[in-house]
Amino acid sequence: MLLVVTYSQAARQTLRNVCNGHEETVVQRFGRAALLEATHLGAFLALRLRAKHAGDVQVERTAPFNEFSDAPEAVRAAATAYEDREHPSTSYAKFAVGTDHPAPESMRDAEL
Amino acid sequence: MRVRVGEERWSGRVIDLRGVRERCGVEFDATRVAEAVRSDHAESEAIAIDCSDPGPVHEHVGLIRSGMDVQLRAALAAAARSRGRIAPQADELAAVRERLDALDAPEIDLRDARRRVADASDEEAALRERVATLQGRVQALRDVSGKASEHGGTVEAERAVETKRAVESELTEATRRLSEVETERIAAEQALARARERAAANRERRRERLRLQDRADNLRRAAREHLAGTVREPFEDAREEAPAEVTEASVGEALAVARVAELDAPVVLGRDVEAFGSVDVAARWLDAPVICP
Repeated sequence: MLLVVTYSQAARQTLRNVCNGHEETVVQRFGRAALLEATHLGAFLALRLRAKHAGDVQVERTAPFNEFSDAPEAVRAAATAYEDREHPSTSYAKFAVGTDHPAPESMRDAEL
Repeated sequence: MRVRVGEERWSGRVIDLRGVRERCGVEFDATRVAEAVRSDHAESEAIAIDCSDPGPVHEHVGLIRSGMDVQLRAALAAAARSRGRIAPQADELAAVRERLDALDAPEIDLRDARRRVADASDEEAALRERVATLQGRVQALRDVSGKASEHGGTVEAERAVETKRAVESELTEATRRLSEVETERIAAEQALARARERAAANRERRRERLRLQDRADNLRRAAREHLAGTVREPFEDAREEAPAEVTEASVGEALAVARVAELDAPVVLGRDVEAFGSVDVAARWLDAPVICP
């Protein structure tokens, strides 16, 4: 899908107008951003916004996330284990100490 | 104030220009007079008005006439300001504006960087395909020339060897180009990655600017609301006190706003002046200088 993020009042307003006029192409709206369908029309709308508002419009293409191919086993296991923790107030940093689960800092620096 | 129409001149707090058109032979209407109030004393114009600078209230009620449109809340807020009222949001609004002025986000354009990556990737893919094709052909020709020499067919063998050499040299050239284009693609990707990092910092500033603009808008609205509230009562009183002959709601509102406001520059009052009987009475009621066009 195409993620369109706006960075000015005028660009945000144009995005709103575009979304109102093309509901079938809009997957999701979030205030000053929207997800558009990955179609020629989606690209056209995104590019139209960028042509009008230049640097105040950011367009990114999103990809589906498959944790089994995109995230390592250790991260998946850590997420599941943390959600099963005994005390809800335990932070993950504390939770990971003394276990095989990765520390938050090591995950921060490791790219997917 | 001092007013000149053509060669005739007037001065004072109340100036009645009715009947002047015919006498001076100068065509003008209320809009033209209101413009002259706003513009700097222009000697070259047929109408020149020298008076105090009109304030924000004048944008709302500087010209009062039938069919006008009053944005009441904004007009009341301007009237409150003219009376020296300051909104509690003023300091924060000034601070937000100052931060906005200091925030500059230079233009960002990643278009060239993206195009360079796309072009290099396309060229690389095409060359990779060509190298694979040539490799296949070389392999096939090796087999053919091998078989030809086995069978002792010298003419065919020579021809096959020649073709093989030609294709091999094509392959060498294509492989060399592929390696060049690959280097270019990697360089282009790195350049785009750097440009994206710069853009991210720039967008952070734009995001902050948008946040501050929204904040300023909210503060402005809240300030307007507050200021309008401070003069709402005298405004309602003034509306009640307006001459009964004023029947148009917007004119009644405009008159009341002008009465509530502190006005140094003249109000241009159209035909509704007749509701007051005379321009002098209207000026006293409004407690403002008045020009009647």
